[in-house]
Amino acid sequence: MGLVARFLEKNGFSTVVLTTTPEFNREIGFPRVAAIEYPYGRVVGAVNDAEGQRKVLKAALTVLETAGKPGQVVHLPFTWPEEARQTKWHPPEISPIVKMYLDEIKKTASEKRPESN
Amino acid sequence: MLAVEKTVNGFHFMPPSLSAWIGKSIPDNEFEGDIPWTPLKKPLSETVFSLMTSAGINMKADPDFNMKRERREPTWGDPSHRHISSQAQESDIHVNHLHINTDYIKQDMNVMLPLRRFQEFESDHIIGTLASTVYSYYGYQLDPKELLEDTMPQVVAAMQKEGVEAVLLTPA
Repeated sequence: MGLVARFLEKNGFSTVVLTTTPEFNREIGFPRVAAIEYPYGRVVGAVNDAEGQRKVLKAALTVLETAGKPGQVVHLPFTWPEEARQTKWHPPEISPIVKMYLDEIKKTASEKRPESN
Repeated sequence: MLAVEKTVNGFHFMPPSLSAWIGKSIPDNEFEGDIPWTPLKKPLSETVFSLMTSAGINMKADPDFNMKRERREPTWGDPSHRHISSQAQESDIHVNHLHINTDYIKQDMNVMLPLRRFQEFESDHIIGTLASTVYSYYGYQLDPKELLEDTMPQVVAAMQKEGVEAVLLTPA
């Protein structure tokens, strides 16, 4: 999404990316980022939580309005109400790429354990 | 007492094995190259908005994103895009994405494509207007060449036609 945001900015549009994974900013250089620790696939908020969604979107609009320089990342303060493992964000079947690299993924995990949830 | 500022951990919801594998490709240091920049020209309340999500949403009248080919070729992701009416309801759309649980979007599309929230913002004069068209593509592009060189120029042209000035992007 960073590459798309960059393309839009180059073509005269102001953008803000509301993202769950701001780490990719280090690889690509997003113009404006509102980062949020919500599950993948529900970046705006929970199903039918109109008020919660409004709060998140207003915060993202504030980032758009107030970011003064390219590459600004603002970490939004919202907290998802469920434990990580209860969020069921995963696809019902293992994605093709993960399936293809499953052995390598398991090997990486045994080599390096990042902070767990 | 000082408030502790939150730092978002993009791997919080990911199994440790997957986050370690994906994390390998992300540099440790901040991005140092040039970043394109278009300043916001007007107050939000006068700005024309569109939305773009990579959640693989399409109007039922249009073709679904191609999941069959990705199942056959796991490093390929559909590089095309779809136009979505800003009046679309959940009953008007299909959602296809092999990397997330799409059930939530099917129940309430605003969790990824917040059309109703932006219509409310327009009514409340928080934004100027929401354009008639918003956009979806498919957020799994290991090789983004076709997306950037063929697809996005079409999106830019469509946005320009509708006078769009600012875009909220919501990656799946």
